[in-house]
Amino acid sequence: MNIDPRWAWAAYAPSAAAPWNLQRVGHLYRRAAFGANWAELQAGLSSGPEKTVDALLAGGPDAEPFPPAITKANNGFQLSSWWLKRLLESKHPLREKLTLFWHNHFATSNAKVNNTGAMIGMYDLLYRQSLGNFGDMAQEITLDPAMLVWLDTVTSTRGQPNENYARELMELFTLGIGHYTEADIREAARAFTGYEIKDGRGRLNPAKHDATPKTVFGQSGNWSADDIVKACLKQPACPYFIVGKLYRYLVSEADTPSRELLAPLAEAFAGDFDIGKLVARILRSNLFFSDTVYRARVKSPVEFAVGIVHALEGRVPASALALALESLGQRLGYPPNVKGWDGGQVWLNAQTLLYRQNLALALTSTDDDRFKSRTDPAQLARSLGKVEGDQPVELFVDLFLQGDLRTGTKSQLIQFLQEARRQKRPAFWSDERVEAQPLRGLCHLVLAQPEFQLA
Amino acid sequence: MWSRRNFLKSSSLVACSPVVPAFLARTARAAPAGKDTILVMVQLTGGNDGLNTVIPHKHPRYAQYRPTLRVPSSQVKKVDDQFGLHPSLDGFAKLLEKQALGIVHGVGYPNPSQSHFRSMDIWNAGSTAESLSEGWLGKALRQIDGPAFHLAGNNESAPLALEGAPVRAPSVRSLDDFQLKLGTTTGAESRMQKSIIEGSAANTSGDGLLDFVRKTAGNTYDATRRLKEVAANYQPKVPYPQTGLANRLRLAAQLIDAGLGARIFYVSIDGFDTHSGQGGANGPHANLLAEVGNAIAAFYGDLAARGHGERVLIATFSEFGRRAQENGSRGTDHGSGAPMFLVGGRVRPGLIGEHPDLEKLEQGNLRHTCDFRSVYAAICEKWLGVPSEPLLGAKYPAANVFRA
Repeated sequence: MNIDPRWAWAAYAPSAAAPWNLQRVGHLYRRAAFGANWAELQAGLSSGPEKTVDALLAGGPDAEPFPPAITKANNGFQLSSWWLKRLLESKHPLREKLTLFWHNHFATSNAKVNNTGAMIGMYDLLYRQSLGNFGDMAQEITLDPAMLVWLDTVTSTRGQPNENYARELMELFTLGIGHYTEADIREAARAFTGYEIKDGRGRLNPAKHDATPKTVFGQSGNWSADDIVKACLKQPACPYFIVGKLYRYLVSEADTPSRELLAPLAEAFAGDFDIGKLVARILRSNLFFSDTVYRARVKSPVEFAVGIVHALEGRVPASALALALESLGQRLGYPPNVKGWDGGQVWLNAQTLLYRQNLALALTSTDDDRFKSRTDPAQLARSLGKVEGDQPVELFVDLFLQGDLRTGTKSQLIQFLQEARRQKRPAFWSDERVEAQPLRGLCHLVLAQPEFQLA
Repeated sequence: MWSRRNFLKSSSLVACSPVVPAFLARTARAAPAGKDTILVMVQLTGGNDGLNTVIPHKHPRYAQYRPTLRVPSSQVKKVDDQFGLHPSLDGFAKLLEKQALGIVHGVGYPNPSQSHFRSMDIWNAGSTAESLSEGWLGKALRQIDGPAFHLAGNNESAPLALEGAPVRAPSVRSLDDFQLKLGTTTGAESRMQKSIIEGSAANTSGDGLLDFVRKTAGNTYDATRRLKEVAANYQPKVPYPQTGLANRLRLAAQLIDAGLGARIFYVSIDGFDTHSGQGGANGPHANLLAEVGNAIAAFYGDLAARGHGERVLIATFSEFGRRAQENGSRGTDHGSGAPMFLVGGRVRPGLIGEHPDLEKLEQGNLRHTCDFRSVYAAICEKWLGVPSEPLLGAKYPAANVFRA
């Protein structure tokens, strides 16, 4: 793929070839949030790209902090449920979305940490810095209690350094494989000795710290943990590594971007490590709104499920949804390993796809014990005044797919709605239910379209 | 690649063949690891008493260690001159006749933990590292396409063995979990739903992301349709006993026969923590062994009759064996070193490796003669076709458990 980097990252302006339309609003909300509801689609359409991106970047007020009871109970399932609840109710979805990105980047699992309080502490750190400064975040994460446990820093002492953190800091957190040597890791590991958790905070215990000189990236000195993180951030590979990963998350996972394409972003990022600025530039860019990257990501289970609930404007019990997400392959606070979830096509296989379709049915049918009528497509159609004739087809196809359907499918959906309205229902059904049933069935069919799996 | 240097480096690890040294076993031509081989792990939870499972019935020490629990020579199912299977392992005895059962003696690991949880974690992780958060099968799944299934009993959560998989393996309790649900519709409405959903997956030939979703969906719907047919008309080729384990394995057989592409299945059966009133030829332990032997024999018989005999490997393990000397409550306490059973058409039949020396106990426990990671290494490399070293954290000589 040959893309001019200057064109790619210049600000998008609507044109005849790339008009501002429902598809582009939907695209922006899928990437920068968890999908749009009807009001957001309409508002985005009328206010244009610049203001819509502004609003997403600014966001609304933050959610309530995690209730201390979760820390006390130390129940990992509550951790996943509360995290999901925040996503469902967030007034600042972009920040939650980026927090998930960093959760997958500094992937730490409560399976080993086994301390929900520490996991929430890390969540708070990631949320606070999600659009903040990457350098500060990398420094803070190094001494974060959950991380100190997760990568064994707490057991690493002078004379017996544990290489785990030094390795992942370079391989997964800042540089990527091939941009450091094994000697760098061995030497850097000594700088991470002697850190311990005291009163819920990471701190240095000088008695256990190896303060002798180390040589990392060719530089010698009595480096501390802080110095090593700084040295990693100074490596030329670092901005490219972070920008490349963010590209995959926000722009496209269908191709590996060339170094030339990333260069303008990476060069700017190297100067200030300002994540918010980087994200804003990506979200405003020509490439972001181009056909090349349209629906070029597979939705994660969280994106899939939260997107449905948000668009249906419902409120569901987070614990039930969190449990459902486990069978889709994603348990918040429990990434499979330090590399995080692989994502992309790995999300979908025979089992997970089926569970996605069945979850979509559970969320639209109103007769699932877990969700009941808390998310009801018929209620939504009524409140928007779109229940007559083909209106419900237009509504759900626009709301969930922004019209992206195979030729012929729309007329099948119209036929289905007509057929469903003709069906004879059991005598004990209320009139309301008789009228609502076809809309619920229709909505499920829209969510079952392959296009809906892609972000 | 295997080299003499590697052999010397790892010679402290015991390989599991008494006759063939490890490096020769390794170079012996192994059955090629197929791309569609299936592994079914059967976890015996609680610590199975190996000494009363594969019984050295003629050894004088056996009678001495087991004054009340011993099974007399006249009752064991003979394997060779020295060893016999517990009499309730009738199912396994028949598999042995069919040359489809391998028995690996004395499997364990150094400095064995006597904690149920710690030791089960070690087996499930394939590692004795201090903190364990990933399973050996979870790691294997990163290199294997397709889903894996944990066939769960009631209130049973997914095992550590499957943690770390790129997509979490589901715990499936019934086939109902595996149907495309359409709600309460019937007739023409229901037919239209199906045709719209299935039609959206059909007719695709490109290689874009949307084509990938369509193909995945198409395969899924085909599989569920097959599964539904299979479930509706599933007549086991061999009758399954009416037990929990047999039900779960029957479910696995249906999933395998439906061709979902899953290669790893995990089931467990609890109750092996027999501290008191364990019984000898009859009793609670005998009943558990009967459930295991009969369920696995039916499962294998069923699969073999469907042509999957050469594709499937069933492996049993327990977190530890039990103390050689029985305790004062006619039971046994936590021990170490116990047999693993391997069932399948490509398993090396009969006894494999060396039984722990009954004269040389280690704090009253049988000393393992085969590191479980050597068995895992063989399963990884010669059965699943994935390199074992990244899964196990070190190079273990592959035990000689498959036919050449």
